[in-house]
Amino acid sequence: MKFLRDPLVHFITAAALVFAAFAIWQTRSNQADSTILISASEIERMAALYTSEAGTLPGEADMAAMLSDHIRDVALAREARRLGLDQNDTIITRRLAQKMSFVVSDLHEDTMPIERQLEDWHAAHADRFTQPATLTFSHVYFSPDVRGAETAAAAEETLTRLNASNPPAAASLGDPFMLQRQYGDMPLRELARQFGGAFAETLSTMPVSEDWQGPVSSAYGLHLVQVTHSTAAVLSPLDEVRAEVRKDWLEQTRREKNEQAIQEIIARYKVEIEGGN
Amino acid sequence: MKRLLDLAVSAIALAACDSTAPDTSMQETDTAHMEPASSATERTAGYSEDRNAYFGDLHIHTRSSFDAYIFNVRRTANDAYRFARGETITHPSGFDMTIAGGPLDFYTVTDHAEYLGILPVMNTPGTELSKLPRAQDMFSTDPEKITAAFQSVGASVRSGEVIEEMYDESIIGSVWEQNIDAANRHYVPGEFTTFAAYEFTSVTVNEEEDSFAGGNLHRNVFFKGDAPDRAFSTLDSPNPEHLWDWMDEQRSEGYEAIAIPHNSNVSDGQMFRLETYNGDPLDVAYAEQRMRNEPLVEVTQVKGTSETHPSLSPNDEWANFEIYDRLLASYQVSKTEGGYVREAYRNGLKLQEEEGFDPFRFGLVAASDSHVVGGAYDESDYWSKVGVVDGTPMERGSVPFFGKKNWDEQPDNQMVNNAREWFSRWAASGLTGVWAEENTRESIFDAFRRKETFATTGPRMKVRFFAGYRYSDDMLDDADLTRQAYDGGVPMGGDLVGTGEAPTFLAWAQRDPNMGALQRVQVVKVTSVGEAVYDVACHTGSPDPATHRCSDNGAAVDMETCAPTGAGANELKAVWQDPDFDVSQRATYYVRVLENPSCRWSTWEAMRGNVPPRPDVPQTIQERAYTSPIWYIPAD
Repeated sequence: MKFLRDPLVHFITAAALVFAAFAIWQTRSNQADSTILISASEIERMAALYTSEAGTLPGEADMAAMLSDHIRDVALAREARRLGLDQNDTIITRRLAQKMSFVVSDLHEDTMPIERQLEDWHAAHADRFTQPATLTFSHVYFSPDVRGAETAAAAEETLTRLNASNPPAAASLGDPFMLQRQYGDMPLRELARQFGGAFAETLSTMPVSEDWQGPVSSAYGLHLVQVTHSTAAVLSPLDEVRAEVRKDWLEQTRREKNEQAIQEIIARYKVEIEGGN
Repeated sequence: MKRLLDLAVSAIALAACDSTAPDTSMQETDTAHMEPASSATERTAGYSEDRNAYFGDLHIHTRSSFDAYIFNVRRTANDAYRFARGETITHPSGFDMTIAGGPLDFYTVTDHAEYLGILPVMNTPGTELSKLPRAQDMFSTDPEKITAAFQSVGASVRSGEVIEEMYDESIIGSVWEQNIDAANRHYVPGEFTTFAAYEFTSVTVNEEEDSFAGGNLHRNVFFKGDAPDRAFSTLDSPNPEHLWDWMDEQRSEGYEAIAIPHNSNVSDGQMFRLETYNGDPLDVAYAEQRMRNEPLVEVTQVKGTSETHPSLSPNDEWANFEIYDRLLASYQVSKTEGGYVREAYRNGLKLQEEEGFDPFRFGLVAASDSHVVGGAYDESDYWSKVGVVDGTPMERGSVPFFGKKNWDEQPDNQMVNNAREWFSRWAASGLTGVWAEENTRESIFDAFRRKETFATTGPRMKVRFFAGYRYSDDMLDDADLTRQAYDGGVPMGGDLVGTGEAPTFLAWAQRDPNMGALQRVQVVKVTSVGEAVYDVACHTGSPDPATHRCSDNGAAVDMETCAPTGAGANELKAVWQDPDFDVSQRATYYVRVLENPSCRWSTWEAMRGNVPPRPDVPQTIQERAYTSPIWYIPAD
């Protein structure tokens, strides 16, 4: 967000937060205080907010209106607190909890991972950093919708011809296939998606060879296959994926620390549930 | 001071963060404007000149959509793309969503442009927007106040009358930029395609009846590559023709774009009305502008299927499929005429013959319109689309109200009534298929322009459709069938110009390897005076030449287990000629592929809940695919 990157907005919001925290602390510590103090910085903050929204500086009337709104809000809020209206209000509770959880989440400095931690993370989450196994293959398709009971025999007969000397061109054999007859470097997951899981599994166990193999069943029928190249699943070395590993590690660490901090806060309270065991 | 600034940034980021679920998008949103990971100037690994079938969803909402946020959706565009690539994401009601059938090839976030990203800021303590009385109401605990505040926003989106106090263009602009960034970041040429896109949320205002109900004229706008820094919304004008003017302008500045309308079924007859938005007669300029900007229509999605209606196609036994006819957020019934695709094709031909232009020569796509960042495409694993509002089987009416074991005495309350009128009639649909050389923005967008697209109701069945004059019966057995088909004719989405001969069609369908088997392939023919449905390939036998129907293949469903019974085809293909062909008459032909019957989502959920299936919705359906048409144009 553009406006989120604006340093002025950062400054204003920081000021607002400090003010809010101060106000809460102030009211808690001195409920009886009947003075509403509008500090110079508060006035500046309102002016800056107005400017950021309206694009011009506020005039005297604008300023007076904002001030009177503000005073009204503060006075009513104090009165409401005095009457205990902030108690048992789900929204106030939720907003305070929300604010607190953000305050908490920023209380600890980000720890920078050491090399050993990155290595461990990389090893422990190998599946996230692994390039999938791939296959390069051609296939000849035999459709049971077309050939019925003769499908397997036709496939076997064609297999013999393909593996004999002077074989015919594979592209002219079998039934037409709606997709491709050759696939290069196809990830196994993609293969399973296109042809079904059993087909992908069978192909992944076949040796790389110029010979035709099969027939193999897919979701569509039978296939003779020639697997000409395969690559095993490879765990990308840490150096290649260092940035991602680091990002994951930081994310996880931050999450754990936040949760830990929240748990520590919760632990300061004794919870009693009426009628609970 | 740095600590304070961090604090402040965190506080603002509160808006961008789900307080209950970990949100990994945080780190990504502070990076500067990102360019696409790489641009596809070279061919990618999967390139094929015979074109591959790619599947995707072109209609997804996230927390930045004003309505999704109210449905308690807190997930972002980044989460949406992760879901599409196979990651598990949490539904607002707390359960896990994982995409059925594995990762998709393309996916597009289309948040409502109106008040884009404003509600999250209204719900962020400390922001100016959160102090608005409207914001206090919207995020209060009083259902009446929430509804009133939400409807006031909905009404503004519909009428285009801006609520000045919450129309903060700098927020809207930066969230639009974030969505563009997310699309660019997740685009991996050759693997996964995304587009910068948004929804233009126009609804007609029903002044006579003084009600909230109006005709849906929504369209999604897609950019082929770079996107402009501002999205034209109904707050600029609710008139779709003004959207087209704007898109024309953008195109002249290098931002190629198309818009895809959806839910014509609940447009109250407005989507394909034979008048302009303001009630003027249609003309050539209108037709050209519409076709330049809207070459495609979304024909099926969660809120029903818009192919045709039983009352419009009384002789089509399969016309009564996932019909949904309630106007948005209303129980009022939408006007049928002007709301369905097949009728629009017929009216288009009529206009062409009588006045020389056709504003309805569009191809077909499908999508989910999910508002929970992830589409539910599988009948057996369904979560509908409006978050906490229909997140449980009871809320969507597939099981009876609390504790009841039958459907005899449903109480009269809002949840039960909404489920009856809306959610129980929604569908686990759909996906777009495209035939493209490779999985890149350029290749897929070009397929959109060619209309070489098809729509499915969820399964990833593939279907090819060609027409030409040099096809022969025995080509069906030729290993290079696809090449011959391209060389000797036009694919779906194309015009076939007359030569005085009768054309031959090639229809070819392949099942989703992970879903049901196929029952039949049909050609639907539309002319200015009528329509006909021809079965052209059957699982068992050949179509009867007199009735043009396949014999019953006996496939059914075991209602105890939802397991299919009886066989079906893995693949069906046919070379076909129109037995009623008239060489001098314009005709629009498209293919419809039907799977064997399977349990509808509501039946799956009833079975799991150990209750009888809801009686007022179908218990089984036949999943299907629709291709874009081929238009036969007689020689002069």
